[in-house]
Amino acid sequence: MERYDIAVIGAGPAGVSAAITATIRNKSVVLIGSPKISDKVRKAHRIDNYPGLPAATGEQFADALKAHLDSLNIGITEKRVSAVYAMGSFFSLQADEDMIEANAVILATGVTAGKPLPGEDKFLGRGVSYCATCDARLYAGRPVAVIGYNAESVKEAEFLSEIVSEVEYFPMTGSAPEERGNLKVIREIPRGITGGLKASAVATDAGEHPCDCVFVLRDAVAPDKLVPGLKTEGAHVVVDISMKTNLPGLFACGDIAGKPYQYIKAAGQGNIAALSAVEYLDNNKKG
Amino acid sequence: MITKIENEKFDEVLSAKYALVDFSATWCGPCRMLAPVIDELSDELDGTVEFFNADVDDNMGLAQKYGISSIPALILFKDGKPVDSMVGFRPKEDLRAFIENTVEA
Repeated sequence: MERYDIAVIGAGPAGVSAAITATIRNKSVVLIGSPKISDKVRKAHRIDNYPGLPAATGEQFADALKAHLDSLNIGITEKRVSAVYAMGSFFSLQADEDMIEANAVILATGVTAGKPLPGEDKFLGRGVSYCATCDARLYAGRPVAVIGYNAESVKEAEFLSEIVSEVEYFPMTGSAPEERGNLKVIREIPRGITGGLKASAVATDAGEHPCDCVFVLRDAVAPDKLVPGLKTEGAHVVVDISMKTNLPGLFACGDIAGKPYQYIKAAGQGNIAALSAVEYLDNNKKG
Repeated sequence: MITKIENEKFDEVLSAKYALVDFSATWCGPCRMLAPVIDELSDELDGTVEFFNADVDDNMGLAQKYGISSIPALILFKDGKPVDSMVGFRPKEDLRAFIENTVEA
């Protein structure tokens, strides 16, 4: 398997900036995220304080970021990373059903909106999963629930329905799959995940929906769930001024590294994170 | 070195001064990630702690006896008694700290 110098997770201003600097510094880079740049950026109404792009709309800003990547032949790998494992001298990323390896990682995933559901933390790994493509086979022939927060969760629910006995889909946004055979859409609001040793049901105001696994599919996974062992404070990763985290070789930048949530601050931190990662790699090479 | 536990055979764990048992399964992604990390630790802590791996599918009785509800699960034994446990993938230095918390160096 190819091992990249640097994996950048997240294609907003922080991740794009980090990927640009790392590429200019001649490191092999994999940039993982939305192929058309972060949707949150694209939907921004107007950005007034980004130097050089006065009064840009989100669309214009996203297009400018994409064009900059294109000019350096930096592609965006469209995958969702559900876990980053610190293996010691390198990192393994669970990206959909694939593993990606890198010597350094830059987290630029943005902040997760919203708190976990009651029971979600407690049962994570015990009947709560964040990755349908990786864990589907564990539940072959058994009933599952999907709590879907985005359009991709619809695709994942359809994929699941081919493997498991029954899928109950709880739409948290406008998108929901078409009902068919063993795929049902439940228009009730999940209030929590219940169970004993393992998760066994999704609770709503109308009652309990029993299942063997609850797939909670959000745009972003909370950073301490994404990276086991990572030091966080609230929704943010703890970083120093060179964007280092408590794990050697892992850096964080942008909104995930704390407030203010500003594009220019994110881009600046992306630059610092990339330079710190380059320094880390060069020091390691010297041994 | 890691000794694989087969057919629920646990006497070596129970007779060791210190033993670390990694309960895992072939189909569990985080378990596969943790295995090489534990392998490195077992070399570095050779002589102080004995390392074992128990596949939960092959050792259901042990998994039940020690209350394994999520894997990977590490259980640290001292003089045959479970004294500490840790669930889920962790970086190597966290695991070392977990062991050294109990094991007198």
